[in-house]
Amino acid sequence: MKSIVGCKRHLSSRTRFWASGIAALVVTVAALLFTTAAAQSGSVLRVATIGEPPMLDPMATTAVSTGSIAQHIFETLYTTDGNWEIVPLLAAELPETSADGLSITIPLRDDVAFHDGSTMDAEDVVASLQRWLATSTRGGGITPFIESISAADPLTVTITLNQRYAPLVAYLSANTAAAVVMPAEIAGTEGPLATYVGTGPFSFIEWRPDRYIRLERFEAYAPRSEPSDGYAGAREAMVDEIQFIPVPDANTRLSGLVGGEYHFAEGLNTESIDSIRTSGVAEAEVIEPFAYPVMIFNTVQGAATDPAIRVAMQTALDLEAMMIAGLGLPEFYALEGSWYPQGSPFYSEAGTEHYNVADVELAAEQLAATGYADEPIRILTSQQYPFLYRMSVVAADNLAEAGFNVDLQVLEWATLTSVRGDVSAWEAYWTYGSFNPEPTSYSFIVGPGAGGWTNDEKSAILEEMNGALTQADRAAAWAEMQELLFTTAPVIRVGEMYGLAGRSNDVEVGQDYRSLPVAYYWNVGLR
Amino acid sequence: MLSYVLRRVASMVVVMAIVGVSVFVITRVVPGDPAAILAGDDATAEDIARLRSTYGLDRPIFVQFGVWVSGIVSGDIGTSIFFGQPVAALLADRTEPTVLLSLLALMMAIAIGVPAGVISAIRRGSVADQAIIGFAMFNAAVPSFLSGLLLMQYVAVELGWFPVAGYGPPETSTLGRIPYLVLPAVSLALPNAALIARMTRGSMLDVLGEDYVRTARAKGASEAKVNLKHALKNASVNILTVIGLIAGALLSGVVVVETVFGLPGVGQLVLSAVSRRDYPVIQGALIALAGVFVLVNLVVDLLYATIDPRIVY
Repeated sequence: MKSIVGCKRHLSSRTRFWASGIAALVVTVAALLFTTAAAQSGSVLRVATIGEPPMLDPMATTAVSTGSIAQHIFETLYTTDGNWEIVPLLAAELPETSADGLSITIPLRDDVAFHDGSTMDAEDVVASLQRWLATSTRGGGITPFIESISAADPLTVTITLNQRYAPLVAYLSANTAAAVVMPAEIAGTEGPLATYVGTGPFSFIEWRPDRYIRLERFEAYAPRSEPSDGYAGAREAMVDEIQFIPVPDANTRLSGLVGGEYHFAEGLNTESIDSIRTSGVAEAEVIEPFAYPVMIFNTVQGAATDPAIRVAMQTALDLEAMMIAGLGLPEFYALEGSWYPQGSPFYSEAGTEHYNVADVELAAEQLAATGYADEPIRILTSQQYPFLYRMSVVAADNLAEAGFNVDLQVLEWATLTSVRGDVSAWEAYWTYGSFNPEPTSYSFIVGPGAGGWTNDEKSAILEEMNGALTQADRAAAWAEMQELLFTTAPVIRVGEMYGLAGRSNDVEVGQDYRSLPVAYYWNVGLR
Repeated sequence: MLSYVLRRVASMVVVMAIVGVSVFVITRVVPGDPAAILAGDDATAEDIARLRSTYGLDRPIFVQFGVWVSGIVSGDIGTSIFFGQPVAALLADRTEPTVLLSLLALMMAIAIGVPAGVISAIRRGSVADQAIIGFAMFNAAVPSFLSGLLLMQYVAVELGWFPVAGYGPPETSTLGRIPYLVLPAVSLALPNAALIARMTRGSMLDVLGEDYVRTARAKGASEAKVNLKHALKNASVNILTVIGLIAGALLSGVVVVETVFGLPGVGQLVLSAVSRRDYPVIQGALIALAGVFVLVNLVVDLLYATIDPRIVY
């Protein structure tokens, strides 16, 4: 091989060309590196979230990520307090219902300002409710019951129904698929929401996808006078700005909290609780209630359409073993048969004798009495949610022991949703539901849900719940529904599952502070 | 030279077209429906069908392909199903972190790998050589997400020398972002530095055995001049080849590292787009990455001409 060193080929002009090119490059890079945006002053709260919300329009999605951020900007007429009771927020008081239940009168507060400077009145509320009916997933189910919505006077809204519909006010108090109030001109626009103007303690600054969502304190916010209690009561913006930063990896959220990068880290893995507690710089927040893991059966087609077979599966499952496998520490779960926690209006013991029987022999006997002919029970699960995956593995084991022919299919989440759409392809799938104070908001209660559960008794109870006159009547009807859920097992709810978030010691919270499932950051300050 | 460059650019377009068609087909063959994911778990079949229709996903696949291609030809590479924003805007916003990260990682890999390889070759068989080879093999074996997590835990969280994660508060200058990129760049750089070191060592050893090196020494050139001016310069064609290929490896490596460190770059965009089956983003981003890879290799080929005067295009 010949050396290339020493060959001369007009090096000087080529050298000059490259030298000037590199010089230009260096100057450009230096200019870019040294540009600075305007400096920032004031207190900024940095919250690491699980990921980008699908949108910031709280009406059009049930996603908790949207509801959590949007509730700082927008408010609903009603909300729930620390005991999950409905209380007024933008409304002045609880609504008045006519004797026949067909007319609902909502008085409004007169001191509520929008972020654009205007004052809220009944026209804004009416327009917002119309938009909510048209765009929200809950609205679609409610529209058949609504005759009209109108402004009786500038501070009163009247909703006229064509039949009694008891859950209406509960839906108006939800903070996901939320009936928020925005100015009438914006509510009336077609298409996706493009401008975020609400009444909340924070107003919207900007959204840079995958970087941050920035909100700033709204100086003219009019808080309620009652003390803070859950989502209810006075909300105070104690920081100048909140930044919601999507950090998809749970370990990174934890490291960022401990390393001082973030003030809050949401959605941490339950195993992280010790790391937080020993870090010396952060507190662990156990979120209670939070969610419930659930196995949903295909009741339309396949081996699980027979309720007796489903009940046999229910008998076989060792729910405690599943919770331990999934969540690790007893701090993070409660084995409660009741779908609603103690203290909630819907707490009930009905049917709970069927809960967590965990008897494989009995299950085998029950199975033998059915017409089960060893058909494969295809159960869809995913490693997307590691705790669910571990539970599903234990469950599959229990079922196999009881004599079921189990086919546990571990799929990536998007594939799972795709397979789930084909009723001939599965008998059960694993998911988790977020806690919701209103029982009829669960998709498999208010409708057939992904498993297609339809049942005459269910429909009758649902009608009872919708037509009930008092909260006590609704609770009694729900108890019947809970009993039905246990005796026919269209779904199997494993129990109460709690979440984990982390809070930096730089954050100052009051006595009344609670970690709730749809996280909020008012009444929270920085030292 | 100019006609060479133009021919290469034309072939770049062909490569991007092939990538585009392949990605289009693969994403639609794989199970998973973006409308079902967007609608959420509680959605009814009607909700999903309505969304599919909104995004044109219910049209025959040839129609969808035709719509997409005609969009590209008129300069519109599509709109994200998830974000509702133009794919071009989403990519543009994420270019800065990925480009800075890749450049930093490349510079580190070269700065570590080339000197290590030179020393290793010059002192072949010595303790230094064996140590460098051992270190290179170790780094080649450790995946970047693992080294990333370890660096994050020990260097950032415990020692506090660098920020833990993210890209910095909104008002940070570009220069201020660099500390956020150091640890991710190191975890990306180490396996590539190992590769460069091995390649440099091998190439140098080849060259050091040549006649002209013996001649240079006989002429009285200093060891430094022999090693750097004569040996390294001749070896650098091979080293440059490896660097060009590493640029491609970096582009794929950023996906993992960006997720671990929470960097809002193109890699993280592609990863989340795949989970959500956001077809327009997957297609647009992968075509862009393919184009960048081809461009980088074109630059490498042009650089050959500056090093080796015998190469004429």
